[in-house]
Amino acid sequence: MRHRLRDPVTGLLFVLPVLVLFLIFRIFPTLGAAGMSLTNWNIGGEWDVVGADNYVRLWNDPNFWASLRVTLVYAAIFVPLTVLVSLGTALLLNAVIFMRGLFRSMLFLPYVTSFVFAGIIWRWIYEFDGLLNGLLTKVDLGPVQVLESSSLVLPALAVVSCWKGFGYSMLILLAGLKAIPGSYMEAARVDGASAWQRFRSITLPLLKPALFFVLVIETISSFQVFDTIYVMTGGGPAKASYTLIYGIYERGFRFFEFGYAATWGMVLFAIVLAISLIQRRFLGRGNT
Amino acid sequence: MTLTATRPAATSARAATRPRRPRGRWWLFALLALMSLLTVAPFAAMIIVALSPRGKPTVPVQWPESLTLDNITQVLSASGFAQWTLNSLIYSAVSVVVILITASMAGYAFAKKRFPGRDAMLWTFLATMMVPFQATLIPVFVLISNLNGVDTFWGLIVPTLANSQAVFLMRQFILGLPDELFDAAKVDGASELRVYWTIVVPLTKPIMATLGVFVFLWHWNDFLWPLVLSQSDATRTLTVGLTILRTEELQWSMVMSSAAISAVPCLLVFFLLQRYLVNSIAMTGLK
Repeated sequence: MRHRLRDPVTGLLFVLPVLVLFLIFRIFPTLGAAGMSLTNWNIGGEWDVVGADNYVRLWNDPNFWASLRVTLVYAAIFVPLTVLVSLGTALLLNAVIFMRGLFRSMLFLPYVTSFVFAGIIWRWIYEFDGLLNGLLTKVDLGPVQVLESSSLVLPALAVVSCWKGFGYSMLILLAGLKAIPGSYMEAARVDGASAWQRFRSITLPLLKPALFFVLVIETISSFQVFDTIYVMTGGGPAKASYTLIYGIYERGFRFFEFGYAATWGMVLFAIVLAISLIQRRFLGRGNT
Repeated sequence: MTLTATRPAATSARAATRPRRPRGRWWLFALLALMSLLTVAPFAAMIIVALSPRGKPTVPVQWPESLTLDNITQVLSASGFAQWTLNSLIYSAVSVVVILITASMAGYAFAKKRFPGRDAMLWTFLATMMVPFQATLIPVFVLISNLNGVDTFWGLIVPTLANSQAVFLMRQFILGLPDELFDAAKVDGASELRVYWTIVVPLTKPIMATLGVFVFLWHWNDFLWPLVLSQSDATRTLTVGLTILRTEELQWSMVMSSAAISAVPCLLVFFLLQRYLVNSIAMTGLK
Protein backbone atom coordinates (compact mmCIF):
# COMPACT_ATOMS: atom_id res chain seq x y z
CA MET A 1 0.00 0.00 0.00
CA ARG A 2 2.81 2.31 0.96
CA HIS A 3 4.37 1.73 -2.46
CA ARG A 4 1.17 2.54 -4.29
CA LEU A 5 1.11 5.92 -2.59
CA ARG A 6 4.69 6.60 -3.67
CA ASP A 7 3.86 5.78 -7.28
CA PRO A 8 2.91 9.28 -8.48
CA VAL A 9 6.33 10.60 -7.56
CA THR A 10 8.40 7.69 -8.85
CA GLY A 11 6.37 7.54 -12.05
CA LEU A 12 7.05 11.19 -12.71
CA LEU A 13 10.71 10.80 -11.81
CA PHE A 14 11.12 7.97 -14.31
CA VAL A 15 9.49 10.03 -17.04
CA LEU A 16 11.30 13.23 -16.13
CA PRO A 17 14.40 12.95 -18.39
CA VAL A 18 12.30 12.19 -21.45
CA LEU A 19 9.75 14.84 -20.52
CA VAL A 20 12.42 17.54 -20.23
CA LEU A 21 14.00 16.51 -23.56
CA PHE A 22 10.62 16.57 -25.27
CA LEU A 23 9.56 19.91 -23.84
CA ILE A 24 12.80 21.58 -24.88
CA PHE A 25 13.57 19.92 -28.20
CA ARG A 26 10.22 18.83 -29.66
CA ILE A 27 7.31 20.77 -28.21
CA PHE A 28 8.95 24.15 -27.64
CA PRO A 29 10.52 24.20 -31.16
CA THR A 30 7.20 23.22 -32.73
CA LEU A 31 5.56 26.26 -31.15
CA GLY A 32 8.76 28.19 -31.85
CA ALA A 33 8.58 27.39 -35.55
CA ALA A 34 5.08 28.83 -35.73
CA GLY A 35 6.20 31.86 -33.77
CA MET A 36 9.38 32.44 -35.80
CA SER A 37 7.44 32.28 -39.04
CA LEU A 38 5.79 35.54 -37.90
CA THR A 39 9.13 37.31 -37.38
CA ASN A 40 12.03 38.55 -39.48
CA TRP A 41 14.55 36.62 -37.36
CA ASN A 42 18.02 36.77 -38.89
CA ILE A 43 21.53 35.58 -38.14
CA GLY A 44 22.25 38.37 -35.66
CA GLY A 45 19.42 37.12 -33.48
CA GLU A 46 17.52 40.40 -33.78
CA TRP A 47 13.90 40.13 -34.69
CA ASP A 48 10.62 41.99 -34.96
CA VAL A 49 7.17 40.60 -35.30
CA VAL A 50 6.18 41.15 -38.91
CA GLY A 51 2.82 39.42 -38.80
CA ALA A 52 1.89 37.54 -41.93
CA ASP A 53 4.57 39.21 -44.06
CA ASN A 54 6.54 35.97 -44.49
CA TYR A 55 3.43 34.14 -45.65
CA VAL A 56 2.65 36.87 -48.16
CA ARG A 57 6.23 36.72 -49.39
CA LEU A 58 6.00 32.94 -49.62
CA TRP A 59 2.80 33.20 -51.65
CA ASN A 60 4.53 35.55 -54.11
CA ASP A 61 7.82 33.61 -54.16
CA PRO A 62 8.24 31.77 -57.48
CA ASN A 63 10.98 29.66 -55.83
CA PHE A 64 8.47 28.36 -53.32
CA TRP A 65 5.92 27.34 -55.93
CA ALA A 66 8.65 25.77 -58.04
CA SER A 67 9.90 23.80 -55.03
CA LEU A 68 6.38 22.64 -54.22
CA ARG A 69 5.94 21.49 -57.81
CA VAL A 70 9.31 19.69 -57.75
CA THR A 71 8.41 17.99 -54.46
CA LEU A 72 5.02 16.85 -55.78
CA VAL A 73 6.46 15.56 -59.07
CA TYR A 74 9.17 13.74 -57.13
CA ALA A 75 6.54 12.17 -54.84
CA ALA A 76 4.41 11.21 -57.85
CA ILE A 77 7.39 9.29 -59.28
CA PHE A 78 8.94 7.95 -56.09
CA VAL A 79 5.85 6.64 -54.27
CA PRO A 80 4.39 4.42 -57.04
CA LEU A 81 7.88 3.22 -57.98
CA THR A 82 8.78 2.24 -54.42
CA VAL A 83 5.40 0.68 -53.64
CA LEU A 84 5.52 -1.38 -56.85
CA VAL A 85 9.11 -2.53 -56.34
CA SER A 86 8.51 -3.46 -52.71
CA LEU A 87 5.24 -5.21 -53.52
CA GLY A 88 6.85 -7.08 -56.43
CA THR A 89 9.84 -8.24 -54.42
CA ALA A 90 7.62 -9.18 -51.44
CA LEU A 91 5.38 -11.28 -53.70
CA LEU A 92 8.42 -12.97 -55.24
CA LEU A 93 9.95 -13.66 -51.83
CA ASN A 94 6.65 -15.12 -50.72
CA ALA A 95 6.44 -17.38 -53.78
CA VAL A 96 10.02 -18.62 -54.00
CA ILE A 97 11.28 -20.96 -51.31
CA PHE A 98 14.71 -21.95 -52.61
CA MET A 99 17.41 -19.53 -51.34
CA ARG A 100 14.74 -17.16 -50.04
CA GLY A 101 16.80 -16.04 -47.04
CA LEU A 102 19.75 -15.05 -49.20
CA PHE A 103 17.58 -13.06 -51.63
CA ARG A 104 15.82 -11.28 -48.79
CA SER A 105 19.18 -10.23 -47.35
CA MET A 106 20.43 -9.01 -50.72
CA LEU A 107 17.29 -6.96 -51.31
CA PHE A 108 17.33 -5.49 -47.82
CA LEU A 109 21.05 -4.63 -47.82
CA PRO A 110 20.86 -1.00 -49.09
CA TYR A 111 18.40 -0.11 -46.33
CA VAL A 112 21.12 -0.13 -43.63
CA THR A 113 23.35 2.34 -45.48
CA SER A 114 22.98 6.12 -45.46
CA PHE A 115 21.38 8.31 -48.09
CA VAL A 116 24.72 10.09 -48.40
CA PHE A 117 26.38 6.77 -49.20
CA ALA A 118 23.63 5.97 -51.73
CA GLY A 119 23.99 9.43 -53.25
CA ILE A 120 27.73 9.02 -53.76
CA ILE A 121 27.48 5.60 -55.40
CA TRP A 122 24.67 6.68 -57.70
CA ARG A 123 26.32 9.94 -58.63
CA TRP A 124 29.17 7.83 -59.94
CA ILE A 125 26.72 5.55 -61.74
CA TYR A 126 25.02 8.53 -63.40
CA GLU A 127 28.26 10.35 -64.28
CA PHE A 128 28.91 11.27 -67.88
CA ASP A 129 31.58 8.56 -68.09
CA GLY A 130 29.99 6.48 -65.34
CA LEU A 131 28.61 3.00 -65.09
CA LEU A 132 25.18 3.66 -66.58
CA ASN A 133 26.54 5.47 -69.60
CA GLY A 134 29.15 2.75 -70.00
CA LEU A 135 26.34 0.22 -70.29
CA LEU A 136 24.22 2.46 -72.52
CA THR A 137 27.12 3.05 -74.90
CA LYS A 138 27.63 -0.68 -75.26
CA VAL A 139 24.11 -1.01 -76.63
CA ASP A 140 24.48 2.20 -78.68
CA LEU A 141 22.06 4.26 -76.65
CA GLY A 142 24.79 6.79 -76.25
CA PRO A 143 25.80 8.81 -73.23
CA VAL A 144 22.95 10.52 -71.40
CA GLN A 145 23.56 13.41 -69.01
CA VAL A 146 21.18 12.17 -66.37
CA LEU A 147 21.79 14.59 -63.52
CA GLU A 148 22.26 17.55 -65.86
CA SER A 149 18.87 17.08 -67.52
CA SER A 150 15.95 18.83 -65.87
CA SER A 151 13.51 16.16 -67.06
CA LEU A 152 15.63 13.17 -65.99
CA VAL A 153 16.94 14.42 -62.68
CA LEU A 154 13.82 13.72 -60.59
CA PRO A 155 13.27 10.17 -61.89
CA ALA A 156 16.99 9.54 -61.36
CA LEU A 157 16.80 10.76 -57.75
CA ALA A 158 13.63 8.72 -57.18
CA VAL A 159 15.47 5.59 -58.32
CA VAL A 160 18.26 6.26 -55.79
CA SER A 161 15.86 6.72 -52.87
CA CYS A 162 13.87 3.69 -53.99
CA TRP A 163 17.03 1.57 -54.14
CA LYS A 164 18.08 2.69 -50.67
CA GLY A 165 14.66 2.45 -49.02
CA PHE A 166 12.40 -0.17 -50.59
CA GLY A 167 13.73 -2.99 -48.36
CA TYR A 168 11.77 -1.58 -45.44
CA SER A 169 8.41 -1.56 -47.23
CA MET A 170 9.21 -4.95 -48.73
CA LEU A 171 9.54 -6.45 -45.24
CA ILE A 172 6.28 -4.84 -44.08
CA LEU A 173 4.45 -6.25 -47.11
CA LEU A 174 6.12 -9.64 -46.74
CA ALA A 175 4.87 -9.85 -43.15
CA GLY A 176 1.40 -8.92 -44.45
CA LEU A 177 1.58 -11.67 -47.08
CA LYS A 178 2.70 -14.25 -44.52
CA ALA A 179 -0.33 -13.39 -42.39
CA ILE A 180 -2.73 -14.46 -45.15
CA PRO A 181 -3.93 -17.98 -44.24
CA GLY A 182 -2.71 -20.56 -46.73
CA SER A 183 -6.11 -22.24 -46.62
CA TYR A 184 -7.71 -19.26 -48.44
CA MET A 185 -5.32 -19.70 -51.34
CA GLU A 186 -5.84 -23.44 -51.31
CA ALA A 187 -9.60 -23.08 -51.43
CA ALA A 188 -9.37 -20.65 -54.35
CA ARG A 189 -6.96 -22.96 -56.16
CA VAL A 190 -9.31 -25.90 -55.69
CA ASP A 191 -12.11 -23.77 -57.14
CA GLY A 192 -9.94 -23.20 -60.19
CA ALA A 193 -9.04 -19.54 -59.66
CA SER A 194 -6.09 -18.36 -61.75
CA ALA A 195 -3.02 -16.78 -60.18
CA TRP A 196 -4.25 -13.31 -61.20
CA GLN A 197 -7.72 -13.97 -59.78
CA ARG A 198 -6.22 -15.19 -56.52
CA PHE A 199 -4.07 -12.04 -56.35
CA ARG A 200 -7.01 -9.73 -57.13
CA SER A 201 -9.62 -11.26 -54.85
CA ILE A 202 -7.58 -12.65 -51.95
CA THR A 203 -4.07 -11.22 -51.69
CA LEU A 204 -4.84 -7.61 -52.53
CA PRO A 205 -7.86 -7.12 -50.21
CA LEU A 206 -6.15 -8.86 -47.30
CA LEU A 207 -2.94 -6.92 -47.88
CA LYS A 208 -4.74 -3.58 -47.95
CA PRO A 209 -3.84 -2.44 -44.40
CA ALA A 210 -0.12 -3.18 -44.92
CA LEU A 211 -0.21 -1.63 -48.39
CA PHE A 212 -1.86 1.50 -47.05
CA PHE A 213 0.69 1.80 -44.26
CA VAL A 214 3.51 1.51 -46.78
CA LEU A 215 1.87 4.07 -49.04
CA VAL A 216 1.63 6.63 -46.22
CA ILE A 217 5.15 6.00 -44.91
CA GLU A 218 6.67 6.34 -48.38
CA THR A 219 4.63 9.44 -49.18
CA ILE A 220 5.84 11.14 -46.02
CA SER A 221 9.43 10.13 -46.73
CA SER A 222 9.15 11.49 -50.29
CA PHE A 223 8.35 14.93 -48.86
CA GLN A 224 11.41 14.75 -46.63
CA VAL A 225 13.99 13.98 -49.30
CA PHE A 226 17.16 16.01 -48.79
CA ASP A 227 20.42 14.07 -48.39
CA THR A 228 20.59 12.60 -51.90
CA ILE A 229 19.77 15.98 -53.44
CA TYR A 230 22.45 17.72 -51.41
CA VAL A 231 25.02 15.12 -52.48
CA MET A 232 23.99 14.62 -56.10
CA THR A 233 22.53 17.79 -57.56
CA GLY A 234 22.56 20.65 -55.07
CA GLY A 235 19.01 21.43 -56.17
CA GLY A 236 19.99 21.72 -59.82
CA PRO A 237 20.09 21.78 -62.75
CA ALA A 238 18.42 25.20 -62.73
CA LYS A 239 16.43 24.31 -59.58
CA ALA A 240 14.91 21.25 -61.25
CA SER A 241 15.48 19.28 -58.05
CA TYR A 242 14.97 22.13 -55.59
CA THR A 243 12.59 20.54 -53.06
CA LEU A 244 10.81 22.01 -50.03
CA ILE A 245 13.45 20.82 -47.56
CA TYR A 246 16.20 22.07 -49.80
CA GLY A 247 14.42 25.42 -49.69
CA ILE A 248 14.32 25.35 -45.87
CA TYR A 249 18.02 24.51 -45.79
CA GLU A 250 19.02 27.19 -48.27
CA ARG A 251 16.87 29.94 -46.73
CA GLY A 252 18.12 29.06 -43.25
CA PHE A 253 21.75 28.16 -43.74
CA ARG A 254 22.85 29.94 -46.90
CA PHE A 255 20.85 33.17 -46.55
CA PHE A 256 20.33 32.96 -42.77
CA GLU A 257 16.74 34.20 -43.02
CA PHE A 258 15.58 32.11 -40.08
CA GLY A 259 12.11 33.63 -39.90
CA TYR A 260 11.40 33.04 -43.57
CA ALA A 261 12.96 29.55 -43.45
CA ALA A 262 10.64 28.69 -40.55
CA THR A 263 7.73 29.73 -42.78
CA TRP A 264 8.83 27.16 -45.39
CA GLY A 265 9.03 24.66 -42.53
CA MET A 266 5.43 25.37 -41.59
CA VAL A 267 4.33 24.37 -45.09
CA LEU A 268 6.17 21.06 -44.78
CA PHE A 269 4.58 20.58 -41.35
CA ALA A 270 1.10 21.24 -42.78
CA ILE A 271 1.63 18.72 -45.60
CA VAL A 272 2.92 15.94 -43.34
CA LEU A 273 0.16 16.64 -40.81
CA ALA A 274 -2.47 16.40 -43.54
CA ILE A 275 -1.09 13.05 -44.72
CA SER A 276 -1.01 11.74 -41.14
CA LEU A 277 -4.60 12.84 -40.53
CA ILE A 278 -5.78 11.22 -43.75
CA GLN A 279 -4.03 8.04 -42.65
CA ARG A 280 -5.81 8.18 -39.27
CA ARG A 281 -9.16 8.61 -40.91
CA PHE A 282 -8.73 5.77 -43.35
CA LEU A 283 -7.18 3.39 -40.86
CA GLY A 284 -10.03 4.11 -38.45
CA ARG A 285 -12.50 3.21 -41.16
CA GLY A 286 -10.60 0.15 -42.31
CA ASN A 287 -10.66 -1.36 -38.85
CA THR A 288 -14.43 -1.20 -38.38
CA MET B 1 -14.89 -28.63 -35.79
CA THR B 2 -15.32 -30.33 -39.13
CA LEU B 3 -13.27 -27.57 -40.70
CA THR B 4 -10.28 -28.20 -38.46
CA ALA B 5 -10.63 -31.92 -39.01
CA THR B 6 -10.47 -31.66 -42.79
CA ARG B 7 -7.55 -29.23 -42.88
CA PRO B 8 -4.75 -31.79 -42.39
CA ALA B 9 -6.23 -33.90 -45.17
CA ALA B 10 -6.27 -30.90 -47.48
CA THR B 11 -2.66 -30.01 -46.75
CA SER B 12 -1.48 -33.54 -47.31
CA ALA B 13 -3.33 -33.61 -50.61
CA ARG B 14 -1.55 -30.37 -51.47
CA ALA B 15 1.77 -31.88 -50.53
CA ALA B 16 1.04 -34.73 -52.88
CA THR B 17 0.39 -32.37 -55.79
CA ARG B 18 3.43 -30.17 -55.02
CA PRO B 19 5.95 -31.92 -57.23
CA ARG B 20 3.86 -31.03 -60.27
CA ARG B 21 3.87 -27.37 -59.36
CA PRO B 22 7.45 -26.11 -59.84
CA ARG B 23 7.05 -25.91 -63.63
CA GLY B 24 5.63 -22.37 -63.32
CA ARG B 25 8.05 -21.40 -60.61
CA TRP B 26 11.44 -21.27 -62.29
CA TRP B 27 10.87 -17.87 -63.84
CA LEU B 28 9.76 -16.45 -60.51
CA PHE B 29 13.04 -17.68 -59.09
CA ALA B 30 14.96 -16.19 -62.01
CA LEU B 31 13.19 -12.85 -61.63
CA LEU B 32 13.88 -12.74 -57.90
CA ALA B 33 17.53 -13.63 -58.48
CA LEU B 34 17.79 -10.87 -61.07
CA MET B 35 16.22 -8.27 -58.75
CA SER B 36 18.54 -9.30 -55.92
CA LEU B 37 21.63 -9.12 -58.11
CA LEU B 38 20.62 -5.69 -59.45
CA THR B 39 20.17 -4.49 -55.88
CA VAL B 40 23.65 -5.52 -54.75
CA ALA B 41 25.36 -4.63 -58.04
CA PRO B 42 26.12 -1.01 -57.00
CA PHE B 43 27.92 -2.34 -53.90
CA ALA B 44 30.03 -4.66 -56.01
CA ALA B 45 30.84 -1.88 -58.48
CA MET B 46 31.77 0.43 -55.63
CA ILE B 47 34.16 -2.11 -54.11
CA ILE B 48 35.84 -2.68 -57.49
CA VAL B 49 36.36 1.05 -57.98
CA ALA B 50 37.62 1.42 -54.41
CA LEU B 51 40.21 -1.29 -55.02
CA SER B 52 41.29 -0.08 -58.47
CA PRO B 53 44.61 1.68 -59.01
CA ARG B 54 44.26 5.43 -59.13
CA GLY B 55 44.17 7.38 -62.35
CA LYS B 56 42.64 4.48 -64.18
CA PRO B 57 38.92 4.89 -64.45
CA THR B 58 37.39 1.44 -64.31
CA VAL B 59 34.26 2.58 -66.08
CA PRO B 60 32.65 1.60 -68.31
CA VAL B 61 32.25 -1.80 -66.72
CA GLN B 62 35.60 -3.37 -67.15
CA TRP B 63 37.60 -5.40 -64.74
CA PRO B 64 40.68 -3.50 -63.52
CA GLU B 65 44.02 -5.05 -64.45
CA SER B 66 45.13 -5.15 -60.85
CA LEU B 67 43.62 -4.51 -57.45
CA THR B 68 45.20 -2.41 -54.73
CA LEU B 69 44.57 -1.39 -51.16
CA ASP B 70 46.35 1.94 -51.70
CA ASN B 71 43.15 3.98 -51.79
CA ILE B 72 41.89 2.47 -48.58
CA THR B 73 45.13 3.05 -46.66
CA GLN B 74 45.42 6.57 -48.02
CA VAL B 75 41.87 7.43 -46.96
CA LEU B 76 42.45 6.00 -43.50
CA SER B 77 45.56 8.11 -43.02
CA ALA B 78 44.10 11.27 -44.56
CA SER B 79 43.60 14.15 -42.18
CA GLY B 80 40.05 14.45 -41.01
CA PHE B 81 38.82 11.00 -41.91
CA ALA B 82 39.80 9.33 -38.63
CA GLN B 83 38.39 12.28 -36.71
CA TRP B 84 35.08 12.11 -38.57
CA THR B 85 34.85 8.39 -37.90
CA LEU B 86 35.49 8.94 -34.21
CA ASN B 87 32.88 11.73 -34.15
CA SER B 88 30.30 9.48 -35.81
CA LEU B 89 31.07 6.79 -33.26
CA ILE B 90 30.64 9.22 -30.36
CA TYR B 91 27.42 10.63 -31.85
CA SER B 92 25.97 7.14 -32.31
CA ALA B 93 27.24 5.42 -29.19
CA VAL B 94 26.28 8.16 -26.72
CA SER B 95 22.84 8.42 -28.31
CA VAL B 96 22.29 4.67 -28.12
CA VAL B 97 23.19 4.52 -24.42
CA VAL B 98 21.20 7.57 -23.35
CA ILE B 99 18.12 6.77 -25.45
CA LEU B 100 18.04 3.17 -24.20
CA ILE B 101 18.18 4.31 -20.57
CA THR B 102 15.75 7.23 -20.78
CA ALA B 103 13.28 5.47 -23.08
CA SER B 104 13.17 2.29 -20.99
CA MET B 105 12.65 4.28 -17.80
CA ALA B 106 9.88 6.34 -19.35
CA GLY B 107 8.41 3.27 -21.05
CA TYR B 108 8.25 1.48 -17.70
CA ALA B 109 6.54 4.43 -16.01
CA PHE B 110 4.05 4.89 -18.87
CA ALA B 111 3.23 1.18 -18.92
CA LYS B 112 3.13 0.27 -15.23
CA LYS B 113 2.76 3.43 -13.13
CA ARG B 114 -0.09 5.78 -12.44
CA PHE B 115 0.80 9.41 -12.11
CA PRO B 116 -1.00 12.67 -12.81
CA GLY B 117 -0.92 13.76 -16.46
CA ARG B 118 0.30 10.39 -17.72
CA ASP B 119 -2.16 9.97 -20.57
CA ALA B 120 -1.97 13.62 -21.60
CA MET B 121 1.81 13.32 -21.79
CA LEU B 122 1.61 10.14 -23.81
CA TRP B 123 -0.75 11.77 -26.28
CA THR B 124 1.45 14.81 -26.60
CA PHE B 125 4.46 12.59 -27.34
CA LEU B 126 2.41 10.75 -29.93
CA ALA B 127 1.38 14.03 -31.52
CA THR B 128 5.01 15.17 -31.86
CA MET B 129 5.60 12.20 -34.17
CA MET B 130 3.55 14.06 -36.76
CA VAL B 131 5.90 17.05 -36.70
CA PRO B 132 8.72 16.36 -39.15
CA PHE B 133 12.14 17.13 -37.69
CA GLN B 134 12.96 19.35 -40.68
CA ALA B 135 10.04 21.66 -39.80
CA THR B 136 11.60 22.37 -36.41
CA LEU B 137 15.17 22.45 -37.73
CA ILE B 138 15.41 26.25 -37.62
CA PRO B 139 14.07 26.79 -34.06
CA VAL B 140 16.17 23.92 -32.67
CA PHE B 141 19.26 25.34 -34.36
CA VAL B 142 18.56 28.86 -33.03
CA LEU B 143 18.02 27.41 -29.55
CA ILE B 144 21.31 25.49 -29.60
CA SER B 145 23.06 28.47 -31.11
CA ASN B 146 21.81 30.72 -28.28
CA LEU B 147 23.13 28.20 -25.76
CA ASN B 148 26.52 28.30 -27.55
CA GLY B 149 26.14 24.68 -28.58
CA VAL B 150 27.02 25.02 -32.27
CA ASP B 151 29.99 22.82 -33.19
CA THR B 152 29.99 21.07 -29.80
CA PHE B 153 29.19 17.46 -29.05
CA TRP B 154 26.45 18.21 -26.56
CA GLY B 155 24.77 20.52 -29.07
CA LEU B 156 24.98 17.80 -31.69
CA ILE B 157 23.73 14.97 -29.50
CA VAL B 158 21.24 16.33 -26.98
CA PRO B 159 18.46 17.49 -29.35
CA THR B 160 18.40 14.05 -31.02
CA LEU B 161 17.74 12.27 -27.73
CA ALA B 162 14.03 13.21 -27.68
CA ASN B 163 12.92 10.14 -29.59
CA SER B 164 9.22 9.34 -29.44
CA GLN B 165 9.53 6.09 -31.40
CA ALA B 166 11.88 4.70 -28.74
CA VAL B 167 9.59 5.65 -25.85
CA PHE B 168 6.57 4.10 -27.54
CA LEU B 169 8.33 0.91 -28.45
CA MET B 170 9.49 0.42 -24.85
CA ARG B 171 6.06 1.26 -23.46
CA GLN B 172 4.30 -1.23 -25.73
CA PHE B 173 6.76 -3.97 -24.85
CA ILE B 174 6.63 -3.41 -21.07
CA LEU B 175 2.83 -3.19 -21.21
CA GLY B 176 2.88 -6.84 -22.26
CA LEU B 177 4.90 -7.96 -19.21
CA PRO B 178 2.79 -9.35 -16.31
CA ASP B 179 2.14 -6.94 -13.42
CA GLU B 180 2.86 -9.69 -10.86
CA LEU B 181 6.58 -9.50 -11.61
CA PHE B 182 6.77 -5.90 -10.48
CA ASP B 183 4.33 -6.27 -7.58
CA ALA B 184 6.21 -9.26 -6.16
CA ALA B 185 9.46 -7.33 -6.12
CA LYS B 186 7.82 -4.38 -4.43
CA VAL B 187 6.24 -6.61 -1.77
CA ASP B 188 9.74 -7.88 -1.09
CA GLY B 189 10.68 -4.28 -0.36
CA ALA B 190 12.77 -3.58 -3.45
CA SER B 191 13.26 0.10 -4.24
CA GLU B 192 11.98 1.48 -7.53
CA LEU B 193 15.46 1.81 -8.97
CA ARG B 194 16.15 -1.76 -7.98
CA VAL B 195 12.95 -2.94 -9.68
CA TYR B 196 14.02 -1.06 -12.78
CA TRP B 197 17.52 -2.46 -12.74
CA THR B 198 16.82 -6.08 -11.76
CA ILE B 199 13.46 -6.63 -13.49
CA VAL B 200 12.77 -4.10 -16.24
CA VAL B 201 16.25 -4.08 -17.75
CA PRO B 202 16.77 -7.88 -17.96
CA LEU B 203 13.24 -8.53 -19.23
CA THR B 204 13.45 -5.89 -21.95
CA LYS B 205 16.82 -7.03 -23.29
CA PRO B 206 15.52 -8.30 -26.66
CA ILE B 207 13.64 -5.10 -27.43
CA MET B 208 16.56 -3.00 -26.13
CA ALA B 209 18.89 -4.82 -28.53
CA THR B 210 16.55 -4.11 -31.42
CA LEU B 211 16.11 -0.48 -30.46
CA GLY B 212 19.84 -0.12 -29.94
CA VAL B 213 20.53 -1.32 -33.47
CA PHE B 214 18.02 1.11 -34.94
CA VAL B 215 19.22 4.10 -32.92
CA PHE B 216 22.77 3.31 -33.98
CA LEU B 217 21.80 3.21 -37.66
CA TRP B 218 19.68 6.38 -37.42
CA HIS B 219 22.56 8.32 -35.91
CA TRP B 220 25.38 6.82 -37.95
CA ASN B 221 23.46 7.63 -41.13
CA ASP B 222 22.06 10.96 -39.97
CA PHE B 223 22.95 13.93 -42.18
CA LEU B 224 20.91 17.15 -42.08
CA TRP B 225 21.33 17.87 -38.36
CA PRO B 226 25.10 17.17 -38.26
CA LEU B 227 25.43 19.18 -41.48
CA VAL B 228 24.03 22.36 -39.94
CA LEU B 229 25.45 21.88 -36.47
CA SER B 230 29.05 20.83 -37.05
CA GLN B 231 31.20 23.52 -38.57
CA SER B 232 34.70 22.13 -38.12
CA ASP B 233 36.43 18.76 -38.06
CA ALA B 234 36.06 18.77 -34.27
CA THR B 235 32.44 17.58 -34.47
CA ARG B 236 31.99 16.79 -38.17
CA THR B 237 30.55 13.30 -38.67
CA LEU B 238 31.38 10.88 -41.48
CA THR B 239 28.28 11.54 -43.55
CA VAL B 240 29.06 15.27 -43.58
CA GLY B 241 32.76 14.64 -44.18
CA LEU B 242 31.98 12.52 -47.22
CA THR B 243 30.18 15.44 -48.87
CA ILE B 244 33.26 17.61 -48.36
CA LEU B 245 35.45 15.00 -50.02
CA ARG B 246 33.10 15.05 -52.94
CA THR B 247 33.40 18.74 -53.61
CA GLU B 248 37.18 18.75 -53.52
CA GLU B 249 38.66 17.49 -56.75
CA LEU B 250 39.32 13.92 -55.84
CA GLN B 251 39.55 10.73 -57.79
CA TRP B 252 36.50 8.54 -57.73
CA SER B 253 38.59 5.66 -56.40
CA MET B 254 39.30 7.70 -53.27
CA VAL B 255 35.73 8.87 -52.84
CA MET B 256 34.44 5.32 -53.26
CA SER B 257 36.97 4.03 -50.74
CA SER B 258 35.81 6.61 -48.23
CA ALA B 259 32.16 5.81 -48.84
CA ALA B 260 32.84 2.09 -48.54
CA ILE B 261 34.65 2.52 -45.23
CA SER B 262 31.84 4.72 -43.91
CA ALA B 263 29.35 1.92 -44.51
CA VAL B 264 31.38 -0.78 -42.74
CA PRO B 265 29.68 -0.41 -39.33
CA CYS B 266 26.22 -0.54 -40.96
CA LEU B 267 27.15 -3.61 -42.93
CA LEU B 268 28.59 -5.26 -39.81
CA VAL B 269 25.34 -4.56 -37.99
CA PHE B 270 23.50 -5.97 -40.97
CA PHE B 271 25.46 -9.21 -41.14
CA LEU B 272 25.53 -9.81 -37.39
CA LEU B 273 22.07 -8.63 -36.36
CA GLN B 274 20.01 -9.02 -39.51
CA ARG B 275 17.50 -11.29 -37.82
CA TYR B 276 16.76 -8.63 -35.18
CA LEU B 277 16.32 -5.95 -37.82
CA VAL B 278 14.12 -7.99 -40.11
CA ASN B 279 11.85 -9.36 -37.38
CA SER B 280 11.44 -6.05 -35.61
CA ILE B 281 10.48 -4.18 -38.77
CA ALA B 282 7.78 -6.75 -39.43
CA MET B 283 6.54 -6.71 -35.84
CA THR B 284 6.88 -3.09 -34.74
CA GLY B 285 7.13 -1.00 -37.89
CA LEU B 286 10.27 0.74 -36.59
CA LYS B 287 11.83 2.73 -39.35
